[in-house]
Amino acid sequence: MEVIKLEDISFAYPRGKIVLHGLNFSLKKGERVGIMGPNGTGKTTFLQIIVGLLKPQAGRVVIMGKERQTETDFYEVRSKIGFMFQDPDDQLFCPTVAEEIAFGPLNLGIPRQEVAKIVSRTLGLVGLAGFEDRVTYKLSGGEKRLVALASLLAMQPEVLLLDEPTGDLDPQNIKRLVSILSRLSLSYLIVSHDKQFLQQVTQKQFWFEDGRFLPLDTFHP
Amino acid sequence: MLQEPFANGNSFIHNLDPRIRILFAFFFAIIVATTWHLSALLWAFFFVVVVFVLTKLNMRDILKRILVVNTFIVLLVIILPFSYPGQVIYALGPLTLTKQGFFYALYIFLKSNLILTCVILLLSTTSIFSLAHALHHLHVPSKLVQLIFFTFRYIHVIYRQYQKLMRAVKLRCFTPKTNIYTYKTYAYLVASLLIKSYDRSERVYKAMVCRGFQGTFPVFRHFKMTTKDRLLSMAATIYLLFLAILAWK
Amino acid sequence: MHISDGILSVPVLVTGAILTAGGTALGLKRLRHETVPQTAILSSAFFVASLIHVPLGPSSVHLILNGLAGIILGWITFPALLIALFLQTILFQFGGLTTLGVNTFNMAFPGVIAYFICHPLLKIGKPHSITLAGILAAVIGISLAGLFVALELVFTGQGFIPVAKLVLVAHVPVIIIEAIITAVILNFLHKAKPEILGVDK
Ligand SMILES: Nc1ncnc2c1ncn2[C@@H]1O[C@H](COP(=O)(O)OP(=O)(O)OP(=O)(O)O)[C@@H](O)[C@H]1O
Ligand SMILES: [Mg+2]
Repeated sequence: MEVIKLEDISFAYPRGKIVLHGLNFSLKKGERVGIMGPNGTGKTTFLQIIVGLLKPQAGRVVIMGKERQTETDFYEVRSKIGFMFQDPDDQLFCPTVAEEIAFGPLNLGIPRQEVAKIVSRTLGLVGLAGFEDRVTYKLSGGEKRLVALASLLAMQPEVLLLDEPTGDLDPQNIKRLVSILSRLSLSYLIVSHDKQFLQQVTQKQFWFEDGRFLPLDTFHP
Repeated sequence: MLQEPFANGNSFIHNLDPRIRILFAFFFAIIVATTWHLSALLWAFFFVVVVFVLTKLNMRDILKRILVVNTFIVLLVIILPFSYPGQVIYALGPLTLTKQGFFYALYIFLKSNLILTCVILLLSTTSIFSLAHALHHLHVPSKLVQLIFFTFRYIHVIYRQYQKLMRAVKLRCFTPKTNIYTYKTYAYLVASLLIKSYDRSERVYKAMVCRGFQGTFPVFRHFKMTTKDRLLSMAATIYLLFLAILAWK
Repeated sequence: MHISDGILSVPVLVTGAILTAGGTALGLKRLRHETVPQTAILSSAFFVASLIHVPLGPSSVHLILNGLAGIILGWITFPALLIALFLQTILFQFGGLTTLGVNTFNMAFPGVIAYFICHPLLKIGKPHSITLAGILAAVIGISLAGLFVALELVFTGQGFIPVAKLVLVAHVPVIIIEAIITAVILNFLHKAKPEILGVDK
């Protein structure tokens, strides 16, 4: 079954040039897909369309078998699809790590005692056990990444969209991320400039340019 | 600059419920700011000394901080004795020093510094985040509390951005001088900061929406008043009443 | 210039507190829940800008930009600056607790006035009208702020008159610097990001 299906998507920013034109894409349940591509081709734009942060001017967004158009449609989508932003400082806004991770589950209406358990479990999952009371803005770049990931995992999503997750990670932390991702049993879509990393964590890789996906192996950048 | 140097301690005061500290500092400041009785100021001073001992903070750090903030107050205190009308006790050419002016200046100096020290000892010893949290429980409007949270969180990010821009500008041999070119450069710097912040605010909001944000903030943790806190707030109330009577009699 | 605790008389303090409470209430009413992050992040930018020192002869002055903040935030300038001043009181002890109302009013009210005077000029959208808006915003923002401080001192006691005069004089060079800087910033923003100014091209 396809969890994400985009048909004939066209998108342009107001007062900007056309970024996507007639784009098609699909992701099946359990699939792990990597995307590479030059800067400014619209990878982030593409991910934002999937979770409804940007609305395409033409085309259909079908998530989990239902076409999604309104903000209410996407509210459900966002609880199932976790989106990790390119810059963790955009995502982490709470004072402490615990509150950061609790934010999503509390918004979903999960009771507080349950949330406390989720917080410590998720922190353990990303290898940051005991970080509950740390102040988010004082964490290192790598730790911020992992907290951002944990804040998504706490919502128990079925799909993850990761926008350049290795951005500021050192080789040690990349290894850590690889092992976390391989332990998860969900589908994901990763945008990255790191080919080796993508090959480690995904089954299929695409090259994205001029609004089109090409299999990475037929393309030699 | 944006550090909270006094916030990370482990003392009797540091562990006190922030709500009590806010209320106490607030009423203390009002009483001291409005009194004209030396006896009240002496009792306030006595209290500040006790709290200082309880915070286990370094005397030099506090004094340094107090000194920096005193520039405006000292300016006032130097001018006032000469500009205040009253009984002349000393004349230096056209300048006349009055008795009333002298005491007025002395009171201002004492009051300012007592309140200032109290703010350092009681409020700067908490993180801004727990202060904001406490304000929420003291029924400050929730939008205002959210503004405090967000503003303080992103001051750090934007300050780092400013430092990066400034470093880049300096690497290109920019030396600030008193001229239009310098001011224009600073204007560009600030404008870029504003634009970057605006763009960031859009991304932050989107990231929140992705995690189910619909306009209200769920509160994850709550304060708990301990018996110690309760006893202490009773003692504090009695002290404040006593101080108020002395101050406004 | 922020006034410390213990200087002003009770009537002045109370008036300042009441006016700021009113302005803040109006501002909060206009602030929608969805725009809280945006307003806060812009206030953080203004907070950081106020930490920037620009040279002035042998010394330096820090930026205030309350006129510009007013243009961008309108009535929301009140809550935004109230918070900035609160943070300054706790972090550096600039200003004071009992003077929070007075100090916020001194900065925010001129900003709101600048908002109403400068917006029509921005709507015209010509480079010189934008420059004029910037100069006006700075002149209104700083000179009124200085005037309010001076008046508050004089209302507190006749003995403060020389200090009040000094305060007014000290604001003159700041007005000139802020006028240049605000005009350049407005032109920059108008070109690159007119949405911030609430005028769409
Ligand atoms: N808010 C916006 N308004 C106007 N244009 C935009 C906006 N955001 C992005 N763009 C433009 O749209 C294009 C695609 O941007 P996008 O961020 O999706 O690229 P990207 O592939 O993620 O790039 P990178 O690898 O640098 O992250 C770029 O040319 C960019 O300049
Ligand atoms: Mg991108």
